[in-house]
Amino acid sequence: MLTEEKNINVEEQVIAYCKDNISNQDIKHPLYPARLGAYELFRIHGLPSTRNEQWKYTNITSKLERIPSQSDVKPVPVNLDNFINNFEIVKKAKENKDSVLVFMDGAMQSQLSVISSDTKTIKVTSLKKDPIPDWAIKLNSEKHSQNVNEMFNLNTALMEDGAIININNNKGIADNIYIIHVGNNDGFYNYRHMINVQNGAHVNIIEFKISNKVDIEALYTSSIIWKIGDNCVVNNVKYQAHNQITIGFNQQYADIANDTEFNSFTISSGSKLLREFRDINCNGSNSNISISGVNLLDGDSHIDTMLSVKHKAPNTISREKYKSILNDNSKGVFQGNIIVDDIAQKTIAKQSIDALILSKNAEHDAKPELEIYADDVQCGHGATTGQISQDSLFYLKSRGIPEEEAKRLLVHAFLTDALEEIKDKKILETFADVMNNMLNRVSKGNLNV
Amino acid sequence: MWGKKSVMFNVSNLTVSVEDNEILKSFSLDVGPGEVHAIMGPNGSGKSTLAHVCAGKEDYTVLNGEINLNGEDLLDLEADERSTRGLFLAFQYPIEIPGVTTLTFLKSSLEAHYKANNREVLSTPDFMKLVKKKAAELNIDDSMIKRPLNVGFSGGEKKRNEILQMALLDPQICILDETDSGLDIDALRLVAEGVNNLRNEKRSFVVITHYQRLLDYIKPDFVHIMYNGKIIETGDSSLALELEKSGYNNYIK
Ligand SMILES: Nc1ncnc2c1ncn2[C@@H]1O[C@H](COP(=O)(O)OP(=O)(O)OP(=O)(O)O)[C@@H](O)[C@H]1O
Ligand SMILES: [Mg+2]
Repeated sequence: MLTEEKNINVEEQVIAYCKDNISNQDIKHPLYPARLGAYELFRIHGLPSTRNEQWKYTNITSKLERIPSQSDVKPVPVNLDNFINNFEIVKKAKENKDSVLVFMDGAMQSQLSVISSDTKTIKVTSLKKDPIPDWAIKLNSEKHSQNVNEMFNLNTALMEDGAIININNNKGIADNIYIIHVGNNDGFYNYRHMINVQNGAHVNIIEFKISNKVDIEALYTSSIIWKIGDNCVVNNVKYQAHNQITIGFNQQYADIANDTEFNSFTISSGSKLLREFRDINCNGSNSNISISGVNLLDGDSHIDTMLSVKHKAPNTISREKYKSILNDNSKGVFQGNIIVDDIAQKTIAKQSIDALILSKNAEHDAKPELEIYADDVQCGHGATTGQISQDSLFYLKSRGIPEEEAKRLLVHAFLTDALEEIKDKKILETFADVMNNMLNRVSKGNLNV
Repeated sequence: MWGKKSVMFNVSNLTVSVEDNEILKSFSLDVGPGEVHAIMGPNGSGKSTLAHVCAGKEDYTVLNGEINLNGEDLLDLEADERSTRGLFLAFQYPIEIPGVTTLTFLKSSLEAHYKANNREVLSTPDFMKLVKKKAAELNIDDSMIKRPLNVGFSGGEKKRNEILQMALLDPQICILDETDSGLDIDALRLVAEGVNNLRNEKRSFVVITHYQRLLDYIKPDFVHIMYNGKIIETGDSSLALELEKSGYNNYIK
């Protein structure tokens, strides 16, 4: 249904929250103009409703009842360091002397973070505590001035902290940077990262977002803005496993120059509502990108991905391969747009959106769209929604494999070709264990239902 | 026959329907240890249905009858339990499963069998050794078992892969559903040798086939003609020769 009764109450709450926040900001801060502008826009438009084509399948206010209450003091728990080191991934990263940036409830924890000793090639500053570099101010205002996205505006108005990362390496060996986010207290969090990958740089950026406890009620908005130069190789993997009551709105923007490879892969699970908005621009020629991911949903989770890939120069290749597993009462939404400008001849763009439904109450809506203005292109898209094949299941069972394991094998099999989009095999291995645990849970289902 | 014949596997008065059509009609078959029974019969007479119902496929309604293996009724058991009790079905049309390598599949399957029978699971190197040995006997090369299960396998490769699974799982009763169809002359001999190597005084076979050719290699103790959901004639291997010459016309009316 397209009509909805807006939950006016929560919208007013959010606007009031913004108003209060803006009145406490330093008007001399270089990001203040963007903040104020974004606040004005958000105040006028409010939260997007399902009348907005981009939000057709997701009714925010039916999921978001209120801003979670929060206390003013959010002490870092003594165990946070232990908690983080419990993850094999982080432990290994530290052993390898990779950079690890730790955020708790959206705020950078300098005392837990390590920046690789080679500070000449990687420079990390905090949006909250450090002066903002000129490139970041410029990048921020560019994105802000072009923007009509309500949740991005909300994020601009409220952003508190984030990592400003400048990468300038030319050695042909990738630097690894881990960004760990831990949700640790109830509350409303807003953060923004800006990443500048300079010409010729190779970098792996691995984001890891988790809830510390199952009963932390968090609402957050986050934005990550990438500016990627010529001749770069960038592998980005984001793993987000929130608890079942977290609500999050993620925005990702990327501008990609010439002759660059950009692979961005997202693994998502959990969340009461998770919105993944991604706006990827191939501005230069001869670049090759993959924007892909897997969603593993159970319980009452709802994940909505809105992906737009724009080819704005000749000879670029893009692949979008998404696979979703849905169990219990979960819902998945995917809207994917490929736009090929008239000058973007010889574009190759392939999009596939596949969903595997494991329960009769789960639902998946997919809407792939192509807008092509160039004539010499190869573009294709397809969306499928299916169930586990009974013939396959019987075949495995007839060889003694118990039903539960047979299902897990088939679910895993369904994901394989998407997982191949994680081009750095070391990163893929890194995630194997956590993914398997997640997969075991989701293929069984019955979480919270 | 003399004395009381010992029966290891038996189907008695099995009546099965699919979507309100009765396919098996009070079907009965007794198989003793070490015996090889061939079932022949025109297309659509219910041979594959029988094989599937024995293996525990769920789309069928069993209206009456029993299926016993070593005195235990299999009808209450899931397909995986029937397999670990010792029943093996070589599929007429093996299923392709992209994303699961043959090796992973064989390992999961063998481990499930060992676990169900309280045996210690093989170490990975021991498992690899075993698979390679059995695969070599069937002329299956390493690259094939590393590929996704049956995906892009030729008809003959799929059938050899079925026999490989049979050899690994060490079953007591093997039902082969047209394992010979789609095989070239050399592959047919290989597969038949594979089966013959597994023959012993305890293991029994039900071989469903359209061609007497296979039975030249795998000598059956009994040949049955199945028609319209039941066995209408039983004989020895000479029955297959006769069918080859004059067809089913003398038996079906
Ligand atoms: N799932 C099903 N739904 C409807 N009819 C079915 C189904 N499975 C089998 N049948 C019917 O049951 C009958 C027996 O089929 P079955 O496959 O057992 O024959 P068969 O003896 O194995 O034949 P063939 O020699 O061609 O392999 C056929 O008429 C077939 O159409
Ligand atoms: Mg058949």
